[in-house]
Amino acid sequence: MGLLSSLSTGTGYWNPLAWVLATAVAMIVVYLIWRRGEASYKKGTAQTTPFISGNPEPEKGMVHVRASNLYWGYLDALKGYYELIVPVHSGFLNDYVLWYLGITALIMVAVVVFA
Amino acid sequence: MKLTPSFNRSLWAFHFNSGSCNGCEIEIVAAITPRYDPERFGLKLVGSPRHADVLVVTGPVVRKMKDRLLRVYEQMPDPKVVMNVGTCGISGGVYYDSYNLEGPVDEVVPVDIYIPGCPPRPEAIIHGVVKALEKLERIEGGGA
Repeated sequence: MGLLSSLSTGTGYWNPLAWVLATAVAMIVVYLIWRRGEASYKKGTAQTTPFISGNPEPEKGMVHVRASNLYWGYLDALKGYYELIVPVHSGFLNDYVLWYLGITALIMVAVVVFA
Repeated sequence: MKLTPSFNRSLWAFHFNSGSCNGCEIEIVAAITPRYDPERFGLKLVGSPRHADVLVVTGPVVRKMKDRLLRVYEQMPDPKVVMNVGTCGISGGVYYDSYNLEGPVDEVVPVDIYIPGCPPRPEAIIHGVVKALEKLERIEGGGA
């Protein structure tokens, strides 16, 4: 019963039953609007393609902004860094272990020399 | 088969300019002004062929517009009626011997209503819309 009781926070209250009721009412309204839509479109024909002023629909890649575009300025400013660092990431574990050993050896040498 | 409830209430038209000189467009705009007020009968211009019952075509169909006209026609839901406004779409009009013509309109899409004039008067356009409504009722009713 505790789950269904109202929780007063001082600035409002939380009641799961109220949320369920509101969601149900919203779903009914959505269904009524959806039911009034045009149902005679023939699927698989041009009738269900988007209208772009009569022009053919371009490939999705031509009209959607890719996520990488958001970082264009960042990547361009650090181009020199990325040109070096990306080829190093070959995907082979052996390469990474070699890098690890090499860098560790350099650090050990540096510690010995400057200690 | 009876008209769908949406037809009973209204007739929505999509205007397609296939290369018109804009004379017919001016008259179409004049036909939807408060002087005639066809929207009181539910007749209005819509922004997408996917919402339209009637395709109102102006112009003689120039080369660049042929594909667009076909695509717009195919995007309209059935049943649909094509209304040709102006002499250009009927015969090519003053552009009849142009190198750039793919029309007239009925050589590209099937035309149901022809409204002659250069440009036609708004009353003629509204008369054509009434004819289009009658044609749609016949299609929906299964008649000729």
